[in-house]
Amino acid sequence: MTTPVALRDVTYAYGTGDLARPVLRDVDLSVAPGEVVLLTGPSGSGKTTLLTLIGALRALQTGSATVLGQELAGATERQRTALRRRIGFIFQQHNLLGFLTARQNVAMALELDPATNERDRLARAGEMLAAVGLAEKCESRPDQLSGGQRQRVAVARALAGQPGLILADEPTAALDKQSGGDVVRLLRDLARRRGVPILMVTHDPRILDIADRIVAMEDGRILPATEAEPASAP
Amino acid sequence: MNAIPRTAPAAEARLLPWAPELTGDAAAPAPPPPPSRGGSPLAGLWLPLRLAWRQLRAERARLASAIAGVLFACVLVFMQLGFRSALFDSATALLAAMRADIFLMHPLTTVSFKPEMLPRIRASQAMALPEVQAAVPVYLAQATWRNPESGTRRAVQLVGFDTESGVMDFPGLAPLVETLKRPDTIAFDRRSRPEFGDVTRLLAERGPFEVQVGNRQMEIAGLVEIGPSFGADGNIVMSEVNFRRVVKERLPSQVDLVAIKLRPGADREAAMARLRALLPADVMVMSQPELVAHERNYWETATPIGFIFAFGSLMGLVVGMVIVYQILFSDIASHLREYATLKAIGYSNGFLRRAVLSAALILAVFGFLPGLALSTLLYDVVGKGTFLPLEMDLSRALSVFAMIFTMCGVAGLLAMRKLRDANPADMF
Repeated sequence: MTTPVALRDVTYAYGTGDLARPVLRDVDLSVAPGEVVLLTGPSGSGKTTLLTLIGALRALQTGSATVLGQELAGATERQRTALRRRIGFIFQQHNLLGFLTARQNVAMALELDPATNERDRLARAGEMLAAVGLAEKCESRPDQLSGGQRQRVAVARALAGQPGLILADEPTAALDKQSGGDVVRLLRDLARRRGVPILMVTHDPRILDIADRIVAMEDGRILPATEAEPASAP
Repeated sequence: MNAIPRTAPAAEARLLPWAPELTGDAAAPAPPPPPSRGGSPLAGLWLPLRLAWRQLRAERARLASAIAGVLFACVLVFMQLGFRSALFDSATALLAAMRADIFLMHPLTTVSFKPEMLPRIRASQAMALPEVQAAVPVYLAQATWRNPESGTRRAVQLVGFDTESGVMDFPGLAPLVETLKRPDTIAFDRRSRPEFGDVTRLLAERGPFEVQVGNRQMEIAGLVEIGPSFGADGNIVMSEVNFRRVVKERLPSQVDLVAIKLRPGADREAAMARLRALLPADVMVMSQPELVAHERNYWETATPIGFIFAFGSLMGLVVGMVIVYQILFSDIASHLREYATLKAIGYSNGFLRRAVLSAALILAVFGFLPGLALSTLLYDVVGKGTFLPLEMDLSRALSVFAMIFTMCGVAGLLAMRKLRDANPADMF
């Protein structure tokens, strides 16, 4: 099993020339198989940019990043799209398609595989919804679900495609303490059973306890582990 | 504090330290079965189509307004094309009703209501061919008609020829042949516009009665069926002698058309070729379809009618395209987050483009079908009101569908550009 995420000397800047504003400087980061890594830090510390780079949503500028065996330096749009299919994304907002039922939303993540047929996809989607405790809400549309339920559908969607990596960006931001905690624990448990590593950006101190490792960032750099460790101790 | 050990997991281990098999958790769900190979090769087209349909269906009001837009364009184009062809059809109604095998016409005649005359002798010369059974000179002129009910005057088209010869057969003419031999008798076109008076009803009430044609009182002996045309919206058929009684200044030696009937079994193309060789350059030899096409060509090219209706159709398509574009554009704009999410989870731009194009084509089909039904209904209503021969035919329906399809497709291609704004990197 290779390391799912391995970043070396990643530097990224917005803008060009004199206006270039570096947001990541010489970032080294690796995530081991099955590991749950939380990325924390103040706004503007570059953690979201780092997440979009690992998720192949932005092109790498300098440095090297291997995600699920794919080298991202110089990767084509097609390669990046193919890689994204192997990553489960969970966003701040649930971003479910409002005109589809929960089950159809989850099945959308499976339609990317042309080898599946409709019956299998819906059956898989139903299983995933059952796994997040929404078996009876399969046919509900997102606007008929509570915030926590929607985010659980998003978790089911992220996991349905059997991803090799889960990337989550403040998944609890729009949720209250109780449902936020429920969602991330559910995510962790489901990912853990499958051995899928999670890289999660969060500001939320209430969910730090799910982490195997906490990585703190500031000004585009990753702080040494000794400085990061106290942040996790309540 | 944490139940989970913060040790880096052994990368080479097959089972992770916290795997249920090791920790004694509830048994993990069985790994999902491998995907069965049941995917359709058309999935690349079908799935975006289905997504587009589900999205359209979710917003009924938007869908209804989009369909209304397409329907509007559809009806507009159908009406424009319908009027266009009806006007051309009616412009050539008189010639289309003249049923003979071959016609001779002066080459300088551009349109039948302004005929260039040719010598009557050409009819006799045509008889030189053994396959010609009869050649009949036809006189065309316009005269004033006085409405038998109100007394108002109106120009009417006169057609004078040897009705007995059986060469030209207008619908309804055959039973009137004997009556039309009498002096000052005419057959009136029952499809003439109502401004000529309700001759059909008067004839049924009173029997044959006299009307004023030119400066003569003539008796209406019966009815034929021709239809109003551009040159004149009423027609009268009469014998050659009666024609000369109305149009006194016309020299009998100058005719406007010669209608030729061939012997049964004669080859028309060959006969036309021989006539061309035989006759001097002051006649043009034409079959009836060629005669109608020649007349139609005048109205299409020498008048702005063709352009007016083509322009009207184009405007309808442009308006429809703008409506469809607006609907698709706002649909994409309001689902930008969702589209970006789809891109983030690995959907390609191509998939989303196909979805937008599918939405456009769904609108084309859903707008066209009611548009076709409504246009057929309108053809009927408007056709009755204007005396224009409006009829829905398959080829027109297909060509309008092609136009609407193209219109929606172009709108879809334009709206697609908005997809660029769906940037998955902005989702975090």
